Amino acid sequence: MTGALRLPALLLALLALTGLAWAGDVVSGSTFLSPELRRQQDDPSRNPAWFWVDQGTELFVRKPAGGEACLGCHGDPVATLRGAATRYPQVDAASSKLLNLEGRIEQCRVERQHEPAFGYESPELLALTAYVASLSRGLPMSVRTDGPARPFYDAGKAFFERRQGQLNLSCQQCHDGLVGQKLRGDTISNGAGTGYPAYRLEWNTVGSLHRRLRACALGVRATQFDYGSPEYLALELYLAARAKGLPVETPALRR
Amino acid sequence: MFNARITLPPQAKPGEIVEIKVLVRHPMDRGGQSDGRGGTVPRKILNRMTATYAGAEIFRIDMNTGVAANPFVSFMTRAIETGDILFEWREDGGATYTRTARLTVA
Repeated sequence: MTGALRLPALLLALLALTGLAWAGDVVSGSTFLSPELRRQQDDPSRNPAWFWVDQGTELFVRKPAGGEACLGCHGDPVATLRGAATRYPQVDAASSKLLNLEGRIEQCRVERQHEPAFGYESPELLALTAYVASLSRGLPMSVRTDGPARPFYDAGKAFFERRQGQLNLSCQQCHDGLVGQKLRGDTISNGAGTGYPAYRLEWNTVGSLHRRLRACALGVRATQFDYGSPEYLALELYLAARAKGLPVETPALRR
Repeated sequence: MFNARITLPPQAKPGEIVEIKVLVRHPMDRGGQSDGRGGTVPRKILNRMTATYAGAEIFRIDMNTGVAANPFVSFMTRAIETGDILFEWREDGGATYTRTARLTVA
């Protein structure tokens, strides 16, 4: 185990020394945490993100006034929803729209439970998303990029590679070209996004991947798109495709 | 919303020193930020946490605005007898929250 952990650290040290561009595969954001933060992440008695999973577990069984609880259709979620998060974002067959996990939960709530939507980034939606994603912990990401998902994947790839903002940077320039190097106090990652919704120390709370993307856009002084916008959904699909095979780590701890 | 995760060893020997880990969900709002209507948000933090075991207070911490949201506290105590440890938090404004955790000594 220590050997497996030591290898990325050694690689990073080597990169820092030589200033070489990242040439390896896409790795999880946890690779770039300090050993102490990684221990905190992996210890449920110290990782505060588990509070959101606990809240999601409660919301899942709670019966809303207008309809059935989530549990009414998704009985035994630990078995039936295991692996669900690895397949999102995916194209909804009925509406041909790209939906991420948040979008699917909201759709379920509005169309099947006949309840008003929680709203993106609301504590309830974050909790339910964190709970459902946590059921896939350890399973490899496996989104579909063919068929109806192809145009969304292409749009996400184009977004990732396009220069944007006042600093005229593309996502790719840092998250492919400068991975492992320093950006202010932090280490640049691949942007795998497999730990989201994650507890971010900077936020002091759990936030969605789209909140993280908005923070990135602010950093390069580019347009911040709305939560759940088509641009970020397409980018989320592309990032998930890049992270194919990496285990889901929700609820992760991030700086 | 308040919540707490209290982690004790599953079992302790009499006289053994055990670690008690307490993680709390609380925004620990330091106050002073704009409320968007010309006023400021009042301070609302957990200002004290106490733990009582076997009839005695075994731990107390006074917290201030420098403590981060969702604070984590860990402390050691001597296991004497099987019994509940009572945790109590005092929030600005007078609200209190309590939780108990059972320490098994054998």
